[in-house]
Amino acid sequence: MQLHRERQALEETGAGLVLIGQATPRHAAHFRRRQDIDLPVLADEKRESYKAAGAKVATLSELLGPKVAAKGLVSSLRSRQPQGRTIGHPAQLGGTMIVRPDGSVPWSHMSEDASDNASPAEILAAIREA
Amino acid sequence: MGIIGTASERQHAHPPERADEIGAIELPDQDGVQHRLGDYWKESPAILVWLRHYG
Repeated sequence: MQLHRERQALEETGAGLVLIGQATPRHAAHFRRRQDIDLPVLADEKRESYKAAGAKVATLSELLGPKVAAKGLVSSLRSRQPQGRTIGHPAQLGGTMIVRPDGSVPWSHMSEDASDNASPAEILAAIREA
Repeated sequence: MGIIGTASERQHAHPPERADEIGAIELPDQDGVQHRLGDYWKESPAILVWLRHYG
């Protein structure tokens, strides 16, 4: 959770940060402890919000292709934290979205493959403009 | 649908221009307390992150 490590910079923007995962509250609690996250983590077992956010389900190559595997390895080495056991729908991708108080979405980055994630710097730049 | 639930054909992410539908959804947190997503951006912008997995 690179974004969580940028917590101070995020708090300075005044924006709220909401983490949503696709499993049960018990899994969410375990994830928080494992990642040392003190934010609430919401549990969307039915993936209702994923569908409403337009998140996609990956093909096999978008999930396990060479490009995805290489980026995943680099990411694990950088964070020094290997990926844990997959909980929920294994091919469900995620993403990030900014919502203004009027309900408009000025910026979003929904993943096109398993290695496609917005960087904390991109998200910070986007929230500062929202 | 392919193996391990993968899509058989490539899809495209299609985020909405407005979050009204998302805002009406209620989800439990890690303690089982229900939260309406729209409450998170009532007063200031919010960043919503959908995790691929709890890994």
